[in-house]
Amino acid sequence: MKLLVIEDDTTTGTYIARGLREEGHVVDLVHDGRSGLIQATSQEYDVLVVDRMLPELDGLGLVKTLRGTGNRVPVLFLTAMGSVEDRIGGLNAGGDDYLVKPFAFGELSARVQALARRPQTVVQDTSLRAGDLEMDLLSRKVTRGGIEIDLLPREFALLEYLLRRKGRVQTRTMLLEGVWDISFDPMTNVVETHVSRLRAKVDKPFDVALIQTVRGAGYRIEG
Amino acid sequence: MKKARWNRAWRSMPLRLAVLLVLLFSTVSLLSLAASYAVTRATFEQAIRDDLAQDMAGFRAAPNAGAVALLVEAESRETDPSRLILSYLAPSGRIFGNGAIARDGEGYHLVSLREDRAEFQGQYLALSAALYGGRLTIARSRAEVAALGTVFLNILWISLLPTVLIALSGGLVLARRSKRHVEVIRATLDDLTSGDLSARAQIGPRWSDDLMRIGETLNQMAAAQERSVTTLRQVSSDIAHDLKTPVQRVSLQLDELAREVDPDSDAGRLVIQTQNEVAQIASVFDALLQLAQVESGTLREAFNPVDLAALCRTLCEVYQPQALAQDQVLNCNVPEAAHITVHGERTLLGQMLANILQNALRHAGPGATIAVTLETQGKTRLTVTDNGPGIPAAERVRVLERLYRLDRSRNTRGNGLGLSLVAAVARLHEAELTLADADPGLRITLTF
Repeated sequence: MKLLVIEDDTTTGTYIARGLREEGHVVDLVHDGRSGLIQATSQEYDVLVVDRMLPELDGLGLVKTLRGTGNRVPVLFLTAMGSVEDRIGGLNAGGDDYLVKPFAFGELSARVQALARRPQTVVQDTSLRAGDLEMDLLSRKVTRGGIEIDLLPREFALLEYLLRRKGRVQTRTMLLEGVWDISFDPMTNVVETHVSRLRAKVDKPFDVALIQTVRGAGYRIEG
Repeated sequence: MKKARWNRAWRSMPLRLAVLLVLLFSTVSLLSLAASYAVTRATFEQAIRDDLAQDMAGFRAAPNAGAVALLVEAESRETDPSRLILSYLAPSGRIFGNGAIARDGEGYHLVSLREDRAEFQGQYLALSAALYGGRLTIARSRAEVAALGTVFLNILWISLLPTVLIALSGGLVLARRSKRHVEVIRATLDDLTSGDLSARAQIGPRWSDDLMRIGETLNQMAAAQERSVTTLRQVSSDIAHDLKTPVQRVSLQLDELAREVDPDSDAGRLVIQTQNEVAQIASVFDALLQLAQVESGTLREAFNPVDLAALCRTLCEVYQPQALAQDQVLNCNVPEAAHITVHGERTLLGQMLANILQNALRHAGPGATIAVTLETQGKTRLTVTDNGPGIPAAERVRVLERLYRLDRSRNTRGNGLGLSLVAAVARLHEAELTLADADPGLRITLTF
């Protein structure tokens, strides 16, 4: 993927760029809003990572201007404030996601992936698959190798969320937002508990584990 | 309802002033009218006395008793007894004139000597004197004096009543107008206190000088407050940016370190521990920033209908594993599938409930039972009760202050900001927050 990182702090910017390059992306890095706007309009990017507070032209103004020209490139805001108002302001200005500082690199990487592969049109599948696991969305039945697995509603929702994003890492905060609709940190291990319960039902009785833990980032379903 | 409205109207300043002025004016008018009545009446009375003395002098001019009797007879035939009564008791014992002085148990009084013998009506002023062995009595009617009272009463009605009516209705009109203007100021103050710092009073050209000055001062004050809040927000956002930048660097550097060391080695464990510490620093920081923002009240603009029942069910579920792990029972008394809606900001309401639950899970102790109850009887009431040690009555207000912690909680997790945020979010949603003794334990109630 081709990414543009607009971050005024050189150290942070460099770390982000290096990390993303190590994951195989092509990354351009600029340090102020005006250069960011010029760069974003002069080339095609898959995702923009934009700091909210930038010299010359701040992140909000940059994205607003960009959207004004009809540019729909997915934008991930990095914000120091992280308050509700901040988030609403960022999303209203045309941001697609936001990340509050300080963030772990795994979180950033997972969210960039999620943004880039956001489907343009939502296809209504009636069943989801991973390996020999099959989820029927109409009858709400889950089977693996022909054996029916009994899931609680939240476990079903969690598995569905992971299956729909097969192969991509989902962080704890992404799962909280997507499965529980909670956009703050409840400071509890609810995600870990549900993942381990899901594993006990979906993976433990079988030879191959489908749900994988990605260290320092989150979970991913493969197959 | 009607009575309440009247009471409110009466408490309005201009109406009170108008009524007081009308009262004062009426009193002064009444007093001066009474004084002129008294003076005129005295003058009238004196005139009657003078007339009586003159009449008497005229009869004294007669040479003897016979002449007096003749004069009295002649004159009384021509006079109307309702105006003038003449009576002469001659030395012979005969009474001449159109009346006589009679005496009975109640004292002296005049009786008519006419054929119809009608009683004299009204009041008379009489002068009686001995004359040539007889007694002459002359009485003049005081009817004019009595009529004077009626005349003055008429003057009173004709002059005072319209004045009072006009003054009162004028006062009412003025009261209504200034009430409208005061209402504009009140509404502006309401907007300002509820966090809309851009609210200003629209001052019209017909406003009275003093209200206009109050309105202008209010607008100046609001502008100053708006400026200082904007500055404060700028400052805190600058601080946030300046402090979070190094924290961000540390966090990313730790990430890199974590990728290079074995997580099960001593170094790996140290890295994870340090990462947790950094997360803790960031969370205190975020909590302080969020608190400041919630308290500024600007988030009301982002309010939407929020299903509180669904939120309660979700959060109960989220904290269920932690309760289980701590050997605690978390009960959710929220009607299944019910929708209980309040107007608010979902994330903040969720954060508020999460903070209350974390507080209960953290301090109620192992084996405790925590119950979340949502009721709608008129008002929506959310209650979280635990049967832990509770909070001493004297400290229940203080735990809502930022960074305040009970002595026994110093070594537990938490940053002393959780309940402060609960209080701030409750205030933002105009919900009443009470901390009470659940005997034993703590009962936190939010009434929307």
